[in-house]
Amino acid sequence: MVEIDAAQRKVLVRDLQRGDSAWESYDQLLIATGAVPLCPDLPGSDAVDICGVNTLESGLEIRRRLDRGGMKKGVVVGGGYIGLEMAEALVRHGLEVSLVNRAPQVMGTLDHDMGALVSQALRDVGVSLYLEETLTAFETRAGKVTGVVTDRRTLPADIVILGLGVRPNTALAASAGIPLGDKGSIRVNERMQTGVAGIWAAGDCAESFHLVSRRPFHIALGTVANRHGRVAGINLGGGYATFPGVVGTAVTKICQMEVARTGLQEEELRELGIEWISAVIKSRTRAGYFPGAGEITVKVLAERGSGRLLGGQIVGMEGSAKRIDTLATALHAGFTVEEMINLDLGYAPPFSPVWDPVVIAAREVAKEL
Amino acid sequence: MTKEKLVVIGGDAAGMSAASQAKRRRPELEIVVFERSPHTSFSA
Repeated sequence: MVEIDAAQRKVLVRDLQRGDSAWESYDQLLIATGAVPLCPDLPGSDAVDICGVNTLESGLEIRRRLDRGGMKKGVVVGGGYIGLEMAEALVRHGLEVSLVNRAPQVMGTLDHDMGALVSQALRDVGVSLYLEETLTAFETRAGKVTGVVTDRRTLPADIVILGLGVRPNTALAASAGIPLGDKGSIRVNERMQTGVAGIWAAGDCAESFHLVSRRPFHIALGTVANRHGRVAGINLGGGYATFPGVVGTAVTKICQMEVARTGLQEEELRELGIEWISAVIKSRTRAGYFPGAGEITVKVLAERGSGRLLGGQIVGMEGSAKRIDTLATALHAGFTVEEMINLDLGYAPPFSPVWDPVVIAAREVAKEL
Repeated sequence: MTKEKLVVIGGDAAGMSAASQAKRRRPELEIVVFERSPHTSFSA
């Protein structure tokens, strides 16, 4: 896709196989151009075996390179969802794995106290962590990467995975005069219409609304993309649907350790000027005496005074992560932590302690109100 | 009168979800999806 002519309602498309371009007219246009990985413009960054992962094809390419064998050392740059999941994949392929992260803990979407648990889980599976270090260059030999240079050291590398985050892929939309919003994502209304007649947007390129901060918010997640697409499609098909917004729910897993978050974290609350109280509790994923019960740590944040639930984070063994959905639902409902205490949640020893860990955390926060 | 036409740029989660929803509701709608990579949505 090369150009959008919104006035004439047509798009210029390039056929990548034939190499020629042609105009295609439309009555309605949906932009679903996704997001692109952030790539640092640093010395050596165009070398072979420095890999971003944002498409099925890029994942397959990494797999092919690993399957060819001969790779011993992998360096992952960035400690977010992509970085962690790729670190696990490299460990499973038998590589010696290092991870470089600019922040003091991995998983920047968790508060530092919860992120520290994830950092430790990475160390426990043999990943060497280099925290509070910044990528400055890549070492190369004959066009192939041989090392990652940080502000503190050089790490030898046969393969480098970049997980530095993404930005909405909206250059095409911007050049057509479509108004942008948070982080350069395409601004849309609740029906997924952009500011230009006949043009819609959905997915990682489009903006959402944060239901807790009550502000426009960009989040690049497949779950959100599917819901955006559904709403846009219903409207384009002559129906009526709206997308009210997101609460920022996400889950991941690094080897045995499950990680989940929803709502606002401390850094966001500070920026918004919202006063909060929080509690962190340790519990078990099943009744303590039941075989297979594992540790779970839950953090819950609530507004000081009102007790309105603001967010939650979970780190723990199997059966931990999806408990975040209780907190996410409570955020949608606008519950206070006191209202959470009486939630009628399922209990039997194979599934939960008699008080669900998220409710235990809510009770702890409510004590401080 | 010619059929109404929807053009979708991007054939991953959002684009394909929207295309399938729109087609289900309005089978007569002409839909064209453009995708740069050789794969369309792999989980939508």
